[in-house]
Amino acid sequence: MIEWSDEDLMIRDAVRGWIDAEVRPNLDALESGELPPYDLLRSLYKTFGMDEMARSSFHAALAKEKSGEKGEKGERSGGGGAAMTMLPVIELCKVAPGLVSAMGVGLGLAAGTIMKRGTPEQKERWALPLLTMEKVGAWAITEPNSGSDAFGGMQATARKDGDEYVINGGKTFITNGPYADTIVFYCKLDDGRDPRDREILTFVLDRGMDGLEQTRPLRKMGLHSSPTGELFLSDVRAGADRLLASGEGGGKESARQNFVTERAGVAAMALGVIEECLKLSVEYAKTRELWGQRIGDFQLIQLKLAKMEVARLNVQNLVFRHIEMQRAGRPMTLAEASAMKLYAAQAASEVAQEAVQLFGGNGYMSEYRVEQLARDAKSFQIYAGTDEIQITHIARDLLSR
Amino acid sequence: MNIVVLVKQVPDTESPRKLKSDDSTLDRAAADGVINELDEYAIEEALKIKEAHGGEVTVLTMGPAKATDSIRKALAMGADKAVHLVDDGLAGSDALQTSYAIQQALGRTGFDIVILGSESTDARTGVLAAMLSERLGVPQITLANKVEIDGSAIKAQRVTDYGYDRVEATLPAVVSVVEKINEPRYPSFKGIMAAKKKPVETLGLGDAGIDAAQVGLANAATEVVDFADAPARAQGQIVTDEGDGGAKIAEFLASKKFV
Repeated sequence: MIEWSDEDLMIRDAVRGWIDAEVRPNLDALESGELPPYDLLRSLYKTFGMDEMARSSFHAALAKEKSGEKGEKGERSGGGGAAMTMLPVIELCKVAPGLVSAMGVGLGLAAGTIMKRGTPEQKERWALPLLTMEKVGAWAITEPNSGSDAFGGMQATARKDGDEYVINGGKTFITNGPYADTIVFYCKLDDGRDPRDREILTFVLDRGMDGLEQTRPLRKMGLHSSPTGELFLSDVRAGADRLLASGEGGGKESARQNFVTERAGVAAMALGVIEECLKLSVEYAKTRELWGQRIGDFQLIQLKLAKMEVARLNVQNLVFRHIEMQRAGRPMTLAEASAMKLYAAQAASEVAQEAVQLFGGNGYMSEYRVEQLARDAKSFQIYAGTDEIQITHIARDLLSR
Repeated sequence: MNIVVLVKQVPDTESPRKLKSDDSTLDRAAADGVINELDEYAIEEALKIKEAHGGEVTVLTMGPAKATDSIRKALAMGADKAVHLVDDGLAGSDALQTSYAIQQALGRTGFDIVILGSESTDARTGVLAAMLSERLGVPQITLANKVEIDGSAIKAQRVTDYGYDRVEATLPAVVSVVEKINEPRYPSFKGIMAAKKKPVETLGLGDAGIDAAQVGLANAATEVVDFADAPARAQGQIVTDEGDGGAKIAEFLASKKFV
């Protein structure tokens, strides 16, 4: 794949038209947090028939599973699927990357985990409404004292009590936390062993359960269109019907599979930010005049544009490669996914910072939009595994072969 | 119901539109082609009629080869098939000739209702619906902002300077629409994927039974005698506020009869 197909471009243009009409006019309200992103995301899904597509591929996958066939679990809808997933992500990230975080966590992480490890009943009950965007999903793993050491440092616990579990603990930095209807919650089985050795359990919780508190959105540096909150659980009682299967290697392995999907997604997000920053920077370099000439004629400005173009090409190639691999049904190694995310995140952050610099004083003003993208892009280097974690994952994967 | 929607590809209104200096025709290469905006409303109305009454929606486009982009988009929105009238002999045709060529093409597709936008953003003559209905000998309902079909009767609201007229006719008929009639849908992803597989029939002059002597720039009934670029915007008038700014603004608005 060296470029988007004609069909891809039609999808891109249609989504772009929708974003111009529906998202851009609401950007201030999204950025102030006054407007939660979910109605817009639902509208996106409905407008382009993504909800119906999700529903029918869900039912097809479920029917396959029930008839005992070993389906390609968790895989997206074949050929055009990858581009169809990536293009809305790229286009949304040109305006409001937070919308993609809100969307991706519900679909990719919350629904994705249930689709990989749930029973047919659990999938129907919780994953389907997330996949159609009818409901809002959160994926709760990070705690105040864990972060990158997510499993080792995890303190949330589940204690067996008769047929039920009693869950306690707190989670933080939870995307969609304030508005989530469905929460995939990781904790450790309290069986008296050393906390570091305890089994990881994953539950599906619903908004409004006794003892479950979802806080208001936290204040952040960027990604304001994506509400992030804390969860506090105090003696929340969950039946075994809410417990997801451990799967091979337990909850840890499932979470790691999510890392790969998530990391590829971040590369697409980075591409959106880079393309937009480059476009805005080129326009500005051509129209802004100083000392009687356009600033694009100055070599220091040219250097910035050239570096942005190099980043755009590299990240686009990574995204294309990911799409090709999905089409070929070839999985990415953890090292590859991590390398892709590491590079793309750093490139987006750097490009956006340089765009602010290229715009000078105007760049520091919200009106010119690049400052928002620069704040948003910084998050790419932190969430879905920090740069530092990506580096260790790449090295660990290479050294384990 | 056999619904035919006329779709014209025009230069993107966002880009500067130009005429060619050699033959005074539109420079189609100078800008990206898009579906004429009002035609999107015509497509939407055609799809709505189909959804309510059944039948088939055929896109009919006259234009150069690159107009296939616009045809694909109309198919992606949900039209069933398309007819593309494309021939070098058609280049430079004026509205009168276009109405003749489309009449001939409609002879092949047949129709119960022909829907089109009330004007195009490039030439803006706005006469095609009237000419076409005259040639076809069927009722014309122009500038419709509401259309209802009841058996073989078509009822519509027709926008006027003073409000709207309620008009009624018997099918088959030609209907031109204005932007108040509906909100055109976006093509769904599924629609985009399906568009590629939908039939597009390409017709040349001979296929459509069009007499080459009646179309094309050389045979046009109208001629572009002269044209000029739009004048550059003049420098605005700067009024310094010396305490009487408000009064001056009011004076200005009153002098131009804005208030």
